[in-house]
Amino acid sequence: MEAKQKKQAKEDVIAYRKGCSAEGTGLSHYILMDRKTK
Amino acid sequence: MATTNNKNVAGATAPSRGRFVNTGNGPAFQVIDIGHADYAAVIDADTAFWSLMKREKLADLLSGNLPAAYAKKRSRFLQEMDGLRFGLKPSAVYFNPTERCNMNCTYCYIPEQMRHDGRHMPVKKLLAALDILKRYFQRTLPKGSLPQVIFHGAEPLLNREAIFAGIEAYRDDFRFGIQTNGTLLDDAAVGFLTDRNVSIGLSLDAPTARIADRTRKSWDGRGTFSQVIAAMDRLNGYEGWSVICTVTRENLRDLSKLVDFFHGRQVPTCLLNLIRCTLPPSRNLMPGDREAARHFLAALDRTYELYLETGRRLPVGNFANILLAIVAPAARRLMCDISPCGGGRCFFALAPNGSLFPCSEFIGINRFRGGNIFKDDISSVIESEPFRLVTGRKIEEIEPCRRCAIRHFCGSPCPAEAYNMNGGMNRTGAFCEFYEEQVRYAFRVIADGKVDAYLWDGWDKGMKTTFNMS
Repeated sequence: MEAKQKKQAKEDVIAYRKGCSAEGTGLSHYILMDRKTK
Repeated sequence: MATTNNKNVAGATAPSRGRFVNTGNGPAFQVIDIGHADYAAVIDADTAFWSLMKREKLADLLSGNLPAAYAKKRSRFLQEMDGLRFGLKPSAVYFNPTERCNMNCTYCYIPEQMRHDGRHMPVKKLLAALDILKRYFQRTLPKGSLPQVIFHGAEPLLNREAIFAGIEAYRDDFRFGIQTNGTLLDDAAVGFLTDRNVSIGLSLDAPTARIADRTRKSWDGRGTFSQVIAAMDRLNGYEGWSVICTVTRENLRDLSKLVDFFHGRQVPTCLLNLIRCTLPPSRNLMPGDREAARHFLAALDRTYELYLETGRRLPVGNFANILLAIVAPAARRLMCDISPCGGGRCFFALAPNGSLFPCSEFIGINRFRGGNIFKDDISSVIESEPFRLVTGRKIEEIEPCRRCAIRHFCGSPCPAEAYNMNGGMNRTGAFCEFYEEQVRYAFRVIADGKVDAYLWDGWDKGMKTTFNMS
């Protein structure tokens, strides 16, 4: 992904967007709630 | 609920084919300087659509293929933003199991008397509250999705017996987390929490006791630096922990050193949160926007250098969230930097006496008490007038945010600050230029192809590319 982005950085236009479900989104503090720990 | 004032692309009635940018039915773009040698950003703020264009070719590129390609996607992006801003339901609770704290940090948003003389929530009450929450979320969330309960403070581990009983009894019903000052996180507590995959957040403001203890100290004035370091050592090797640093004028100059310190101690992720200025004492520690941005961005630079040197990232969660808000808006995890903010609509806060507030930041401000979990139906509380004050605070009604190109990458935080510090919900919060600088930095990261270095492994797993003209 990073190599691809470096290549993109040389382009005249950089424009991309990614989408996903927003369900379950939403905290005010970040304490790794969405990470598997074991 | 469409929020656009830029209805000129989809569903237009005027006799313009929308061939030209910024005239007729063409897309309305704002151009902003991002401080990059090669690129400027071109943004449709309503949809949070952005592109980076070579500065010297800007005029040619604006009449090129991109506007037409974007016009085809605009309705979808608008829907995505409206869903994110108005379509979510609460899925997390900041659960305060005690009013009391064993520390007296200068900037705490919970009133001092409450922290000093307050009460614990009894075990039976805590279990009853979790049961009510379980039944509420069973009604409101899709099957199979686990709501989140974060034990928060004051200091939750002062009421350890109750929260451990709650975690044990409801471990299959919630994803649990705890935000603690770390002073009571002994071996037994770490063992209990890590065995049950509880996410653990610590608080530490500086890499040395001399600075960290300026703001985070016990009631008799003693610092807690060494106790937090001991807790960090106990957590080393566990994946589900992080550290929050509250950025004030006292520790601002040491943020880069703090990043080195965290990285050296294998901290999986951290937050460098600018101090919330809701209550007057914290305003004495408020840094200037320009100075805050300079040191904060230098700390971000340092995380990148460390990544290059070691191959190991140290994501700064609040900045990572801004980056995500730009490249994948619906993937954001934190909801302080979107409008309406997440308070009262994505999460809410439960005080030890059962009172419900849109966010922990409002605990102690009675105007924002929406009801009581033991007396009122949560769904009614969510719709109560105190909650609506927060959930109805839209950026389109705030000056100058309503015309700001980066309004959906900033969100004009925080409503508690706006209300208590600046005189009303339709005001901005404590900082503005800092957020401008942060977004500009994020765009430079994108321009330089460094996004992966600032996020965590697999950050885009499961996502679909919805636009690509690179």
